[in-house]
Amino acid sequence: MKYFLFSALCFLAGCASYYKGLTSEALISCADEIKPANLNTAWYTASIDVIGKHLSGLLVVKKMPDASYRLVFTNEAGATFFDFKFQPDGSFQVVSVITQLDKKPVIETLRKDFELMLGLPFGQPLRSWQHNSLKYAGIERDGEKIYFIVNPDCTSHGNLEIGSNRKRKVSVSLSGKEPTQPDSILITHYTFDMTIRLTKFDKDADE
Amino acid sequence: MEKVIVSFCVIGLLFLQSSYPGYKPVQDVDDFRKKFTVAAAAVKDIKADFTQKKTLVALTETITSKGTLWFKQTDKVRMDYTTPFVYKMIINGDNMLVKDAQKETRMSARSNKLLQQVNRIMIDCMQGSLLESKDFSNRVFENDSYYLLELTPTSKNLQQFFSTIIVTVEKKDNSPHIIELNESGGDKTIISLSNKKVNMALPDEVFSF
Repeated sequence: MKYFLFSALCFLAGCASYYKGLTSEALISCADEIKPANLNTAWYTASIDVIGKHLSGLLVVKKMPDASYRLVFTNEAGATFFDFKFQPDGSFQVVSVITQLDKKPVIETLRKDFELMLGLPFGQPLRSWQHNSLKYAGIERDGEKIYFIVNPDCTSHGNLEIGSNRKRKVSVSLSGKEPTQPDSILITHYTFDMTIRLTKFDKDADE
Repeated sequence: MEKVIVSFCVIGLLFLQSSYPGYKPVQDVDDFRKKFTVAAAAVKDIKADFTQKKTLVALTETITSKGTLWFKQTDKVRMDYTTPFVYKMIINGDNMLVKDAQKETRMSARSNKLLQQVNRIMIDCMQGSLLESKDFSNRVFENDSYYLLELTPTSKNLQQFFSTIIVTVEKKDNSPHIIELNESGGDKTIISLSNKKVNMALPDEVFSF
């Protein structure tokens, strides 16, 4: 019986909404000024852990002259795994992908992660929410909230996140002094075991 | 006039046949393959510095990385990248170790066919056995100093990575000089070896993990 009660409590705790008490607010005054900056061109070492598997490589984030973004992931020895294109109008194109990654759930997951990392969803009109003492600003799309946390002093933002009505699904943490070229980026998934760690490096350091 | 036209046609045909400036096709490829396989087998081990240049054409981005490479017959390769990022890859038979800034990962090529094929390419490039590989069709060219082996993948698995692999081999010791990995979209990776030391009796410990 004790075990049953404990299990039931764990189950109920698991079902508890991450966003319990979330309320819509009038747009936070600083939201548009502090929204995540679009990233500039940079090279990153990438370390990806998915359900016990580890993959490393290099990710180049390239801001193209037509304002689109190209994200190319290669292994260290030069073989290209994928090349994605993000257009300013929100459209997305797989330029190339190896067969092993060419699966809709994989591509959709990476598309959403990188869109969020690039700050692309925040080009649209923003909404605001409040949750306990935290304030969020972002958009709603396809039943998901895509938002950034507004820090209390209203001069900067915290993590960028995606959540369903009940669960936080993904968070992106950007670190470094230059918002358009973060030194490190951590993408964490909460609904399955996946993290992407990106660390910026100077590709011309030794030239 | 006819002679002039014929001459231009012959020159044109020679140009098309070669397509590598300064190189001419090796006529008897079967004979070359036999002799080359024997000669390349005499390269027991190699230690060299490498410079790897990856070009992403559409992005107008190039990255040059450097490090040290070790090879030992018949199935051992180690590449230590030291700049602009740190990364180590050791292939020892069917086993592989990769160490990036975050983690050290051990893999068995037997459990991953793609990994096995990619590993095999690096080893075959080093020991010149790509001409024997069923995964590639080949053409061979030469000039006074080098052989140029042009390899075209025949399997779909490899075609998704490479359209051709060009290996330039030094005639003086039958060791690789430049390995060029070309992708179908025009991107390419060129690995050039320098400060090469051949047959210095590398210990197995270099490749142990």
